[in-house]
Amino acid sequence: MAVLSIGKDCTKPIRRDQAMTTKKSPFGRPGALAALAASLAVFTCGAARASVASTQPPLKPITVNLQDKAALRNGALYVLHMCVACHSLQGARYSSLPRMLGLSESAFKQVIGTNGHHYHDTITTSMPPAIIDAFAKIPPPDLTDIARRHSPAWLFTYLTSFYVDPSRPNGVNNVVFNNVAMPDVFAPLQGLQKPRMVEGLRYGSPAKVAIGVEPLTKGSMTPAQFDRTARDIVEFLYAVAHPHQQERARLGPWIIGLFVVLSILTYLLYKLYWRRVDTSEERWWRVGR
Amino acid sequence: MNSNKRPMAHRVFGWFDDRLPISSLWRSQLTRYPAPKNFNLWYFFGSLAMLVLVMQLATGLFLAIHYQPNPHLAYWSVLRGIQRDSHWGWLIRDMHIVGASAFFLLVYLHMYRGILYGSFKKPRELLWLIGIFIYLALAAEAFLGYLLPWGQMSYWGSAVVTNFVTAVPVIGKPIATWLRGSFVVDLPTLNRFFVFHVFLMPLLLLALVLVHLIALHHVGSNNPDGVEIHDSVNESGWPRDGIPFHPYYTVKDLFGVSVFFVVFFWFVFYNPSGWGFLLDKLNYTPANILHTPADIHPLWFFLPFYAILRGVPNKAYGIMAFAGTFALFACLPLLDRNPVRSIRYRSVLCKANILMMALSFLWLGFIAHGFATEHNMVYGLHVAEVFYATFLVLPFFNRQRSTRAKVIWLVVAEALVWLIDVWMYSIHAHGWGLMLLTDWIPALYLLLIFGLAIVFPGLARDAQKLPERLTAGGVFH
Repeated sequence: MAVLSIGKDCTKPIRRDQAMTTKKSPFGRPGALAALAASLAVFTCGAARASVASTQPPLKPITVNLQDKAALRNGALYVLHMCVACHSLQGARYSSLPRMLGLSESAFKQVIGTNGHHYHDTITTSMPPAIIDAFAKIPPPDLTDIARRHSPAWLFTYLTSFYVDPSRPNGVNNVVFNNVAMPDVFAPLQGLQKPRMVEGLRYGSPAKVAIGVEPLTKGSMTPAQFDRTARDIVEFLYAVAHPHQQERARLGPWIIGLFVVLSILTYLLYKLYWRRVDTSEERWWRVGR
Repeated sequence: MNSNKRPMAHRVFGWFDDRLPISSLWRSQLTRYPAPKNFNLWYFFGSLAMLVLVMQLATGLFLAIHYQPNPHLAYWSVLRGIQRDSHWGWLIRDMHIVGASAFFLLVYLHMYRGILYGSFKKPRELLWLIGIFIYLALAAEAFLGYLLPWGQMSYWGSAVVTNFVTAVPVIGKPIATWLRGSFVVDLPTLNRFFVFHVFLMPLLLLALVLVHLIALHHVGSNNPDGVEIHDSVNESGWPRDGIPFHPYYTVKDLFGVSVFFVVFFWFVFYNPSGWGFLLDKLNYTPANILHTPADIHPLWFFLPFYAILRGVPNKAYGIMAFAGTFALFACLPLLDRNPVRSIRYRSVLCKANILMMALSFLWLGFIAHGFATEHNMVYGLHVAEVFYATFLVLPFFNRQRSTRAKVIWLVVAEALVWLIDVWMYSIHAHGWGLMLLTDWIPALYLLLIFGLAIVFPGLARDAQKLPERLTAGGVFH
């Protein structure tokens, strides 16, 4: 029941500004009359697609399955041991994770651990504030609801699409997050990657745009292993961002079913009462007494 | 009457009833309140809106208990304290979020019902005006509440709207600072928005709804035929086409409530952020005063107004056009003075115009949903002209017009549309090429309305014969 197909997202644009066509309006001031005639023909929906466009890199499809506890545990290991070096998940508590991961409290403490924090603590970053100030200036975003902010397909593409870009301070850039500040922490696992560039648009101006990546060096994992790891991380982040998914799936049908049944019963009751209304007009006003 | 022989329960109730008008109010307002017997689907939305108001108060109470109106705590008090740490907090909050959108949807449908069936006409002008004030209070309530989660869109939306008053010359900026209690949206702003949202506006809303109901029960309900049911009464003074509100409409509204809850809880359980329409995805990022989002836009129910606001290339005029929309709503009883109430018996062109009123409103929302390109701004303005036109041509339909009058209406209206473009060109807001891409929309609309009225006078003629009594009723009539 908790299997959610997110695969469709790859065909859907994430941001409206990126979704528009790359066509530029050919009409200048002298062509006004031609513009009027042409716009009558294309109708306004077509005309709405004007010039602030960006080339949209395709997103990699991903299916999130919250029942795959092994994947969630693997994702939890990476997030709680690697990501929290810089990021926090301060909306969630360590104690909220065992049930989600299908572990007992003691097994959770043993297998995944609480990074030295109390079991009921929120998941804070291991980076001390002074380091954040010196190294990152702006704290890296909290990851609690990142899977609500972005779709799983976007997150999956983001995690797997870092590429070498010498113009950036960290030496890397990202296909779906241009000029990203995050370093490529996956380089030891995934290896470095080079971009697949095309002539495209960035906010309406012609630019070289990365729409994908190709391997440059080898990492410690095969591409398939790394994709699996990135997917587990996304699944775990999705589970953290949707902590009540199982309650929703369990309760929803009952509550909605209750009101479907009530709709039928109240409709019958309404018809029962209103049978009297269409009889002689002298009778129905007395009923209220 | 020997009261000792009555059962205990009756005597207790009687004691209260002698001291409080319980049974007399029950009778006069429910069991002996005559409602027309032909209410259709459109008549569910008023009572449903009241239900949602109560639901918002109830869920809001629990949210307010756990919420912290402090910029350092607000975001996590909602997303951790309420959503994760409190029992059923997620359900309560999602009901409040979906409830807010449901409230607006129901109120918009309720308002359009009033427009369709002429429920704002004599003697219900004040009833309509009170309703407009309810809508304004609701808009304020929604705007104030949107800041509270302290997400990015909350913060920057509030920053934009509190900056509206800076359009006032000289004293604008001090007023904005006074409204916010700070130079930017900050702790004092959050504190006062919280207090207004949970205390002042709900109180005002409840009071206005009560006055709305009192006014309604004083003048009586209109109906889809626009016939005054009190014009035809039987020998005991009861309207021949009236039925007691209770039990007939209470039982019917129960059915409406059940169907409404099916849809409502589908959203609550399966789609609480409503594809990003009910709750913006950007609001899952805490407010950051140093990072302005690329695109700041309101939630769906304010999108049409947003299109109007950003369509006008001048801040003060833009805000005037935006506020003018509410003035148009309020002035509806002055604009449409045709004695025929219901759209059923209005002319074909008037029917089309009232349909266009709703369509252009949706159209504006669609445009505002797009990115704020120069084209979308001009496009929005031109559709806003259509929306304004649907109100401003209503006096044209007040009576039969001569051909000469029709031609004058056409020329003046078209000239106004083009003058706005000339003004935009003169202040170098946009070039003609861009403006002409969409300028044909209002021009064509006005040409169609008045041109068809000139060529086919029959299309501008209301029904010759009006019903004296109600026609059929039911849910889907």
